[in-house]
Amino acid sequence: MRLFVQRSDVGEFRRRYRWMVLIVVGAFMALVGRLVLLQLVEGDVHRAQARRNIVREGFLATTRGVIRDSLGRVLAANRPAYNVYVTPSRLDMEKAWPLLTRVTHLDDAEKAALEQKINERRGLDAKDRRRQQQILVKVDIDRDAVAYLETHERELEGVEVAPSPVRYYPYGALGAHVIGTMREVNREELAWLGDRGYRAGDRTGAIGIERRWESYLRGQRGMRKTVRGAGRRLDPEQLEAKYLEEPRRVEPIPGRDISLTLDIELIESMERAMHGQLAGAAVMVDVRTGRILALLSKPSFDPNVVSGGQGIKAVSEAYTRLYADPLKPTLDKTISAAYPPGSTYKPFTALAGLADGLVDPKAEIDCRGGFEYGKRYFRCTGVHRRVNLHNAIVQSCNTYFYELGSRISIDRLASIGLDFGFGVRTGIGVNPEARGRMPTRGWYTRRYKEAFRGGFTVLSAIGQGATTVTVLQLALAYAALANGGTVYQPQVVRSIETSDGTVIQEFPPRVRRIVGVDQSHLSMVKSAMQGVTSEKHGTGYAGRIPGVDLAGKTGTAQVSHVTPRSVDPQREWYFNRDHAWFAGYSPAASPEIAIVVLIEHGGGGGKNAVPVAMRVVRDWQKLKEDRLAARSPTAGSGKGNL
Amino acid sequence: MPRDHITARGGPSIDMPLLIAIMAIITLGLVNLYSATSVYADDAQRATLADIYVSQIYWIVVGTLLAILVASIDYRSLDRLAMVTYFGGLVSLALVFVVSRSIRGAARWIAIGSFNFQPSEFMKIVLILVLARYLHNDNKVEPRTLLDLVRPALITAVPVVLVMAQPDLGTALIYMLTAGSMIAMTRIRTRSVLTFVASGAAALPLAWNFVLHQYQKDRITSFLHPENDTTGAGWHAFQSQTAIGNGQLFGEGFMQGTQNQFRLLPDQFSDFPFAVFCEDWGFAGAVVLLGLYCFACIWAIHVASQAKDRFGAALAIGVGANLFWHVVLNVGMAVGLLPVVGVTLPLFSYGGSSVVTMMVGLGLLMNVSMRR
Repeated sequence: MRLFVQRSDVGEFRRRYRWMVLIVVGAFMALVGRLVLLQLVEGDVHRAQARRNIVREGFLATTRGVIRDSLGRVLAANRPAYNVYVTPSRLDMEKAWPLLTRVTHLDDAEKAALEQKINERRGLDAKDRRRQQQILVKVDIDRDAVAYLETHERELEGVEVAPSPVRYYPYGALGAHVIGTMREVNREELAWLGDRGYRAGDRTGAIGIERRWESYLRGQRGMRKTVRGAGRRLDPEQLEAKYLEEPRRVEPIPGRDISLTLDIELIESMERAMHGQLAGAAVMVDVRTGRILALLSKPSFDPNVVSGGQGIKAVSEAYTRLYADPLKPTLDKTISAAYPPGSTYKPFTALAGLADGLVDPKAEIDCRGGFEYGKRYFRCTGVHRRVNLHNAIVQSCNTYFYELGSRISIDRLASIGLDFGFGVRTGIGVNPEARGRMPTRGWYTRRYKEAFRGGFTVLSAIGQGATTVTVLQLALAYAALANGGTVYQPQVVRSIETSDGTVIQEFPPRVRRIVGVDQSHLSMVKSAMQGVTSEKHGTGYAGRIPGVDLAGKTGTAQVSHVTPRSVDPQREWYFNRDHAWFAGYSPAASPEIAIVVLIEHGGGGGKNAVPVAMRVVRDWQKLKEDRLAARSPTAGSGKGNL
Repeated sequence: MPRDHITARGGPSIDMPLLIAIMAIITLGLVNLYSATSVYADDAQRATLADIYVSQIYWIVVGTLLAILVASIDYRSLDRLAMVTYFGGLVSLALVFVVSRSIRGAARWIAIGSFNFQPSEFMKIVLILVLARYLHNDNKVEPRTLLDLVRPALITAVPVVLVMAQPDLGTALIYMLTAGSMIAMTRIRTRSVLTFVASGAAALPLAWNFVLHQYQKDRITSFLHPENDTTGAGWHAFQSQTAIGNGQLFGEGFMQGTQNQFRLLPDQFSDFPFAVFCEDWGFAGAVVLLGLYCFACIWAIHVASQAKDRFGAALAIGVGANLFWHVVLNVGMAVGLLPVVGVTLPLFSYGGSSVVTMMVGLGLLMNVSMRR
């Protein structure tokens, strides 16, 4: 056979051919084996990856719900804003950059900082991805700049203007604590909110309604799949039909709108009335429903800045400033802080005494400017001489209540307080709530680890000592006094609506408890409270405004501020000043609203808090009349809750 | 002198199985090149790329003519050309550094008129020729020692050093592997083989530190640790494997492979045509193509075993090894079995020098086959 005949000199090669064939076959078998793995075993994995490579899942933005007040005025909405970014690797530093800095009005410091950053990135290795990462140049550029940048797009290679809606609060600082603010979701939250559709960079409510009703306001972003790749010969629709899996598009669901019970005009009026005061809080509540008509915490802050409307830098600057402020602007003083109520607590002490038969309303005591109890002497605000219950409230005589406190148990004082809603959270549902404190014998024993002293009760009787309340609690308790003993659940949210205005859910008033209080006792106390502002000796008389029908009780709460040494003496003086209170209701005869005003370190309640309350109630009366006039004669079921 | 196979049959007879296999590969290669470059049809800046299959056809025609020319001269008279072409090749390789067009940092081309001539490609054939001549003349019977192998090693080393300097790691590898395959046909002392392997292993760290460029090292590290890098050097390999896997059993169809059509494959008409082919035609198509290559390689060994002198056998083995290592390196790289090295897929990758060289090589193989 010729095929196997080898010539002598070729013989050396002969032994190799079989090995070579084996190597060739082996190598090709290895390649085919690898193909079996890639194409047959792992084929689905690679096909899925190939699809991911060409399919882009874009998000369709949703719009956050609008927050309105009880008359439909917008308190929080969205406005379009545009941010400018640059891609360092593509930016022309000679032409485009100077143009951009001029249009966006960057100041020299910003410009220098950005230039340094951009040049740093440009200097990186060509493969480094950071060269491609966009750098934020300026947030929220004005409309002229947007228009200019868009028309000069061709000259501005590497510059991008990206829309990013911003939360907008038309009333600024007014009611900021309750309406709320926004912030970016943080990393920890993303870990557990990821499956609810939150992504890095998303914004969420930080405080107030924005936070508590986040799940309603937020809405749901939509999704749209597209086939990427430009300049395709094929028709995009055909491509999409071929490569995209259903659903190809999910429409976004806009967030729910929320209507509040608040009236922004009343909040404005409170702000005006508190003008000149450094810090404080005020609450107005509808005594017939428990709906909150106005909430004010002072000093406030601009939620537009804090929510990022002016850029991240402005946010951190604002917070640095706010946290450093000794007046604690970020604290919601209506809900999140508890204060000693001072004399505003006296009506409750009186009711407890009357209910237990410890007080004879007609009996008089002799006030000589103080009360001796045990080894201590408790001072009164003045020398009132002979006072009965009525006058004791009208003139805010401490001696009368010290004497009552010496005969009543501290647990009884606490129990009537709890009946009226003190010492427990009201459940308003916005912002962290302070509980306040109704001290009991047990509490003192635990706290001080020594024998309980009767002096504690004496102090609690005038709303001092360890007793603390929040402004909101006090307003609701006074509403209960005004309406005959019904303690309502406070409400700020009136209804939830879809973006087209259909009401989805309305929140009817909810009663927390009805205090079993003797109506004759109550009317005694109420007539005394009327006397506070209408009788010559009344503590609120000086601050009254003719025509304003407001009954209530003043309070001057002593504070025990612990000031570290070497503090500015002026500041020390301020922080040791008394809190000024007024709590009341209007109209006195058939109450509709209750109002509480607290001026932190404001001094005497009659002199400082009463005029504020009077002015707010005056405005309220006027608003009510105006709105009635506007509605009549065909009085419909308007939205106003006055 | 025994009589020629040709004269015995009354004239040279064409090796039909080889011819059919080559024509099949050429056809598939053109079809695939069309698919690979079709994506550029509507790209204003690179629209010319969509027409390169036409110039590929020209090169195949040129290559075929040269192959016929090479096949028609008795290969035994070619050994006289060996040394001349070898030194000519070395000069042109050196010339690359003086006059050259640099593409992506590598100087490989010499412009002649409007053509870009790549000397390192033609050197592949020249090297086979020179080594075959050496093996033919070296009739030693007893096993060779390392000392005996110094001459063929030097013959290989000079062009290897020159192309490494371009830098072109892929071509250097092909030179070494092809030469190694040819030398492996001789008997070598076992001890010498072991010494060679051991010293080669010892030289690896040196090569790593002093010979390889950073991008070459990156390719190897990203091959060894693909999870560390899916964007840089590992990106190409990753996209290629995705494309191949996406082909599954029967492929996405002609010009339907998404990895190619959406331009996720890098260098799809030069370095990764196999990925395009696998994506379009699936496992079935890939097996047919690899079968054709495999057949051609085994057929070259068969031709060698039939050759009537050492020169012809060495030529056949050289051409077969050249084909084999191109396919193995290119496909191995595309399927992720080997690091990314720029080696063409014979008759699939676009490139005039590459196509013409391969055709001339196959002409030599045909030559030997016809004169056994």
